[in-house]
Amino acid sequence: MATPLNHAAIEELLGAYALDAVDDDERDAVERHLAECPRCRAEVTEHREVAALLANAGLPAPDGLWDRLAGVLDAPPPQLALAPVTPPRRRRRAVVGWAAAAVAAAVVAVLGVTAITQGRRLDHALQALRQNGLLRAALAASTSTGARHAELASPDGRVLASAVLLRDGTGFLVRDDLTPLPADRTYQLWGIIGGDKISLGLLGRHPGVVAFRAAGDVAGFAVTAERAGGAVAPTGTPVIAGAVRSA
Amino acid sequence: MDLRDLREASDAALVVAIGRWRQEALAEAYRRHAGAVFALSRRLLRDAALAEEVVQEVFLRLWHAPDRFDPERGSLRSYLLAQTHGRTVDLLRSETSRRQREERDARATAEAGYDLEHEVLDLSVAEHVRHAVAQLTSDERRAIELAYFGGHTYREVAALLDQPEGTVKSRIRAGLRRMRTTLADVGIAGAPWPLR
Ligand SMILES: [Zn+2]
Repeated sequence: MATPLNHAAIEELLGAYALDAVDDDERDAVERHLAECPRCRAEVTEHREVAALLANAGLPAPDGLWDRLAGVLDAPPPQLALAPVTPPRRRRRAVVGWAAAAVAAAVVAVLGVTAITQGRRLDHALQALRQNGLLRAALAASTSTGARHAELASPDGRVLASAVLLRDGTGFLVRDDLTPLPADRTYQLWGIIGGDKISLGLLGRHPGVVAFRAAGDVAGFAVTAERAGGAVAPTGTPVIAGAVRSA
Repeated sequence: MDLRDLREASDAALVVAIGRWRQEALAEAYRRHAGAVFALSRRLLRDAALAEEVVQEVFLRLWHAPDRFDPERGSLRSYLLAQTHGRTVDLLRSETSRRQREERDARATAEAGYDLEHEVLDLSVAEHVRHAVAQLTSDERRAIELAYFGGHTYREVAALLDQPEGTVKSRIRAGLRRMRTTLADVGIAGAPWPLR
């Protein structure tokens, strides 16, 4: 949307939004607003409760579907005694953004949260399912031999995207929950290669699944928000970042 | 938690158990809600096989990211159905289904006016929901039906009904809100949000 909608305009959209009946730009605008407005979030929740009552058809689920579903669930991971990860202190975040993101990712990797994040990776993929053929490729890649993975987390520790990197340098990034950007901004993907931040490409303002190529030994990934044309070097702290785990 | 406990557990407790990788907790959530998920998706897609895929996606997502569900913000049923509707509408709007969609539009228009009455089958609340639907104006009802069960955007609904977009947008919100008030009066839904 060229001009941000004012509060009244957003409110008018909430009913249609709750029924998934707005177009993409409007959905983005509403979601940006909802991130900051508990009142509108509450209204959407209530609209959805009403919609759920309308949909309340008490039919049994199809025979055999549970068995198929159970067949693809991950086996439960071994019990891990996870030490709590202390998030980087808020007031220092701006200063240490890049370092903190890398450290947080490293801590996660060291603690071996792999089993848990493995499930999340599948979830990220599912969320974008059928968005385009890329997703199938990404799914195939994520299980192929030698594939390496990274979970990209925000400074407050939420995993918002995952990446898979194949041995030939082909990679896929599957975003989960990145807030859509205004029209004049884009997300940009960076590879941490030999200590440098190398641009791997522009992701657009509302990325789904993207493919990229990386040459060299990628230690980690980061995503920044940049002006629409992109930047030659990151201009701010990463929105999300994460270390590549060894295969 | 043994199986009998699970049967009696609240939805919120089930989700906590799912977060601990208790597959039997997911099975119980599935037992409670998969029918509604399937019915809603099939209602929009008119395709049982595709709807089954949506069911799998929705429950896989619950399995892998149970923390997305916030019990403070609505019921598990409502959360799952919102996910279902979103995924289903994505499918409907995808490029590959464009043609089927065009064919479907004609049917959706022809059938508007019947869906809400026939969709509600849970007898314990059906009467109240029917009553709430009956409080809607026919324009509000058609707009909500075409948006929710037809999978149309409000702009498409406006085109289908040959009404102004802004009017349709307002009718959807006003209609949902009126139903909420009616249902809250009989204790089916919580109190509506305060007037502004
Ligand atoms: Zn608001």
